[in-house]
Amino acid sequence: MAIIDRHERRRRVLSALRVSVVTLTLSLAGVLGLSAQSARDIVDQVDRLLRGESSWSRVTMEIETEHWSRSLGLEVWSLGVDYAIVRVLEPLREAGTATLMADEEVWNYLPRVDRTIKVPPSLMMGSWMGSHFTHDDLVKESRMIEDYDIEIGFEGDRDGVTVWEFELTPKPEAPVVWGRVVQQVRKDDMMPTWARYYDEDGGLVRTIRFGELEVHDGRLIPTTLTLRPEDNPSESTTVTYHEIDFDIDIDVDFFSLRNLRARR
Amino acid sequence: MAGQGIWWRIAWRNLWRNPRRTLITAGALAVGFFSAVVIVGISDGITREMVLNGTEVITGQIQIHSRGYRPERSIYETLGGREGVEVARLLTAVSEVPGVRGAAARVLGGGLVSSGAETVAVGLMGFDPELEPRVSRILTTVFEGRPPRRGAREILIGYETRRKLDVAPGDEVVLVAPAADGSMGNDLFVIAGVFRTGIYALDGHQALVPMGALQELMVLEPSRVHEVAVALVDAWAATRVAAELTTALTPMVDSIVAEPWTDFRAELQEYAALADAGNTIIVFIVFIMAIFGVANTLLMSTYERRREFAVVSALGTSRGSIARTVVFEGLVLGILGLTFGAVLTWPTMVWLHNDPIDLSRLVGDITMAGSLVRPVITVDYSVDGPVISAVALFVTSLVAAVFPAYRAVRIPPADALAGR
Repeated sequence: MAIIDRHERRRRVLSALRVSVVTLTLSLAGVLGLSAQSARDIVDQVDRLLRGESSWSRVTMEIETEHWSRSLGLEVWSLGVDYAIVRVLEPLREAGTATLMADEEVWNYLPRVDRTIKVPPSLMMGSWMGSHFTHDDLVKESRMIEDYDIEIGFEGDRDGVTVWEFELTPKPEAPVVWGRVVQQVRKDDMMPTWARYYDEDGGLVRTIRFGELEVHDGRLIPTTLTLRPEDNPSESTTVTYHEIDFDIDIDVDFFSLRNLRARR
Repeated sequence: MAGQGIWWRIAWRNLWRNPRRTLITAGALAVGFFSAVVIVGISDGITREMVLNGTEVITGQIQIHSRGYRPERSIYETLGGREGVEVARLLTAVSEVPGVRGAAARVLGGGLVSSGAETVAVGLMGFDPELEPRVSRILTTVFEGRPPRRGAREILIGYETRRKLDVAPGDEVVLVAPAADGSMGNDLFVIAGVFRTGIYALDGHQALVPMGALQELMVLEPSRVHEVAVALVDAWAATRVAAELTTALTPMVDSIVAEPWTDFRAELQEYAALADAGNTIIVFIVFIMAIFGVANTLLMSTYERRREFAVVSALGTSRGSIARTVVFEGLVLGILGLTFGAVLTWPTMVWLHNDPIDLSRLVGDITMAGSLVRPVITVDYSVDGPVISAVALFVTSLVAAVFPAYRAVRIPPADALAGR
């Protein structure tokens, strides 16, 4: 209990500190008028929350489908928006299975057959490890400000919380599958609460909810992401962060096919 | 009938007053009949070839699925649900339905075939190497290596897939497929052979694996299959046999449904309907042309016989009787034409049917509506073609006689006799 208390206290202090910084920023913004540029900044900042310049994390991914449910223990390294390695730790039968994202390419390492295969472009929209996330999510999801024009669609109270709702419209030439993305961000602590993804006909395809705010490695972050596909709301994929370190000592060389195969 | 006999005789005699003209006109009708029947025959031949190729290469003429399987083709929608079915018993029951020539079970899924640097997404079909030849010709299209063996971890890939992966029989590839328990099934498979159908959708995007090996990869029990493909004695009986199969199998397996190729290869059915419509138009045009030929001959002959008609008219012959002479001439001409036509058409049809003209040296294989068509001129015997053409020929002769008959009736006896 004591540990939790200390943790909790630290979290409160930090979030209070953050709130005051945000408030300061906001009052400045209020004076200067919140321009499209700062909408971009906020979305970019939210976008970078779980990533930092580089990061290492241990997460679980719980997948619920109509036919089965399963839980994967994963270890994730990332660098910038272009590089990441995800390695499966659990279940043991699949341990060692790993995915490398380097630039726009995705490679999978399959320990059972000891082979590395490249995911073909036609399969980028396919499910990653049976989850509701696609390979494309892993590669492109991290480029919000590059691929989208961002506007504030709503600003004000939602259920007693002051929020922004950003309208993200893909730039004409952006390689994006969504027609539009709406992201809600709480004003007081700049925490994302949900993001809704619409197809090109304006139909809601899926919703990602962010929850369980915790301080990890000095940052307040949402530690759960729950993706719910609209066509089958009983299904979901939830990613829970257990440990996360930001700005670790890692460089591009780490994200190699050789490292993908290496068992730790 | 005795009363009609006189009109036939008069018509017959009149026609032979100018034998050359009559023979030429009957010849024109015969050629019209010949063209219509042979063109329709060739077109039916192409349709048959397309339907048989489209259904025999891989799909089968009837497919039996769980009701929820199509159109999403979810790997969980196996026959008999989660419990599956007794595959052997189901196949026996299917084979016992009249009209069924053969049946084979299949497991279907999707996945990746990878040679390392190159990876291709393919549709995976788990099949029984011993039963498959009863329903499809896919194993006869193997042109390199051999078909996979029952129970082996071997794979048969298409020619285009082989080219993209740059592999050869004997090489190992990685097969990755989403499994029914949510995991990513993956294993090494040896390429047993390469098939080539000429249909890109198959050669580039289909791979075949023995059923047991695919079930293992996809974590499915041996009782779980997605499809039973059925070959028929007569492809055109598919709708009826499918309905009978659904009725016969329902007590045995929940929510089972048999669908004829006209449903799952609707584009072939549409092509057949389109070809039929095209045939009708061709027959129509051919006989419109014939109408003018016959009408011209009869007009000429009635004009020559102006004085004759004037005399019989002056002698008290009724207008109806005069009209009848001309109309019967038209009919007799039609019968002559049909006789010549039949003599010309019959041997040609038999010849083209038994010994098709092969144009494959001039043109390559053609894919239409996702089905391979050999560039071969052959005809399909049908009852419709000749019968419809014969009826059309008589209608033509009758219609063509109407205007000349009208002209003959309208000849004023006094003027005609006076040479005015």
